[in-house]
Amino acid sequence: MPLLRIENLSKRYGQREVLRGVSLEVEKGDLKILIGPSGAGKSTFLHCINFLVKPDEGRVWLDEREIHPERKRELYAYRQKVGMIFQDFNLFDHLNAFENVRIGLTKVKGIGKEEAGARAILELERVGLKEHIRKYPAQLSGGQKQRVSIARALAMDPEVMLLDEPTSALDPELIGEVHAVIRDLGANGMTMIMATHQIGFASSLASEIIFMENGQIVEQGTPDKIFNDPEQSRTREFCSKITDLYGERG
Amino acid sequence: MSEALLYIQTEVLPALFRGFGVSVALIVPSALAGLAIGILGGVLRVYGSTPVRRAADVYASLFRGIPLVIQLFIWYFGLPYFNIYLSPFAASVLGFSLCSGAYHSEYIRGALLSIKRGQMLAAESLGFSRIRMIVSIILPQAVRRALPGCGNEVIYLIKYSSLAYMVTCIELTGEGKILASNSFRFTEVFLIVGVCYLLMTSVAAIVLSRLERALIIPGFERQRT
Repeated sequence: MPLLRIENLSKRYGQREVLRGVSLEVEKGDLKILIGPSGAGKSTFLHCINFLVKPDEGRVWLDEREIHPERKRELYAYRQKVGMIFQDFNLFDHLNAFENVRIGLTKVKGIGKEEAGARAILELERVGLKEHIRKYPAQLSGGQKQRVSIARALAMDPEVMLLDEPTSALDPELIGEVHAVIRDLGANGMTMIMATHQIGFASSLASEIIFMENGQIVEQGTPDKIFNDPEQSRTREFCSKITDLYGERG
Repeated sequence: MSEALLYIQTEVLPALFRGFGVSVALIVPSALAGLAIGILGGVLRVYGSTPVRRAADVYASLFRGIPLVIQLFIWYFGLPYFNIYLSPFAASVLGFSLCSGAYHSEYIRGALLSIKRGQMLAAESLGFSRIRMIVSIILPQAVRRALPGCGNEVIYLIKYSSLAYMVTCIELTGEGKILASNSFRFTEVFLIVGVCYLLMTSVAAIVLSRLERALIIPGFERQRT
């Protein structure tokens, strides 16, 4: 039984087809890594999964229940179970780290302020930000901001996390701290779909690598297969380029 | 000279004091209602469905486009044709609130449009409904950004509240006009009236700048210096 089933997602912007019938099944505890050139549709795919971008076609099931995005209440409940991490963090600028994490609990889940606050502190400790909980986004480094956003998503008790290039806006020095948090999540059995160019990190963690191009999945398989013995020449070409760029694997 | 002082002391000051009270009573509810209408109008003009957005746009262009005196005349002299009778005070507050709201809605609209889309995506991804997202995430930031413009509008309101006497609501300017016509001491009376308005706008400006400072988001201070 897949935890998340995605069938035939398509998205068009005018004449441009950004997604052409992408399907994916994700088992509990999987870490699927999306790789591919810019414009391949990785980000659109992730945004379509929780309907932040409305797909033109396609269906999504979570726990065998199909999601009907036009039923607002169902959609909001579903989104609580699917955490999303963005490339540029998207913290709420007017709230400090603590309030950023707490607001989803109080305003969406309707949990009391005290209980929600305790949970927020717990999640911020988990991502190693105990000393920074009173700081505002503008006072945090990129790596810290991304960790706050992970804590914010985790506080909602998601079943799946979608990570859209979580480290590509970060200085190389700060990538490690975010990777450590994601690694920790994976070790605790969190189900994740992550788009990234950090293939060294990806190959050490992924249960499956998915190579996308032109809005389609070109090839998918274990890290070993995709990086060492891909079937498609295009996959090989992309992987060798990206290995040059982002350094050693493993 | 002492005669003038005596006149000011016994006639001008009591009347102007009374008028000042009426002015404040006009301005405070109009400013609050205007801001509330402006926030609602601004939100509808940005996030409303197409017909709602159109309607709110029409509201803003009507009440921004018609001179305020004419609006007051319509509320006070026009509504009785439909068997609705407003007191001069009520007509004035209604006119001021709606006019002020139209201007505020423009400042709020601009501020709403300036909030980055990413924060909305983040809120939606957490399961926020649209309304909750607007109220909890977008508006708190947008109102801060709109504050300088909205403050400006409040200061305008203090000054255009002087139009209330045109519909026989005798506030500061009205009292001044009566005094001046009786005594022909226009200069003395209107100098004092002018100082009263200056006092009100100065107090408002100080309060608004304090408010702005109190609401600064840490980390954004430097943008303001």
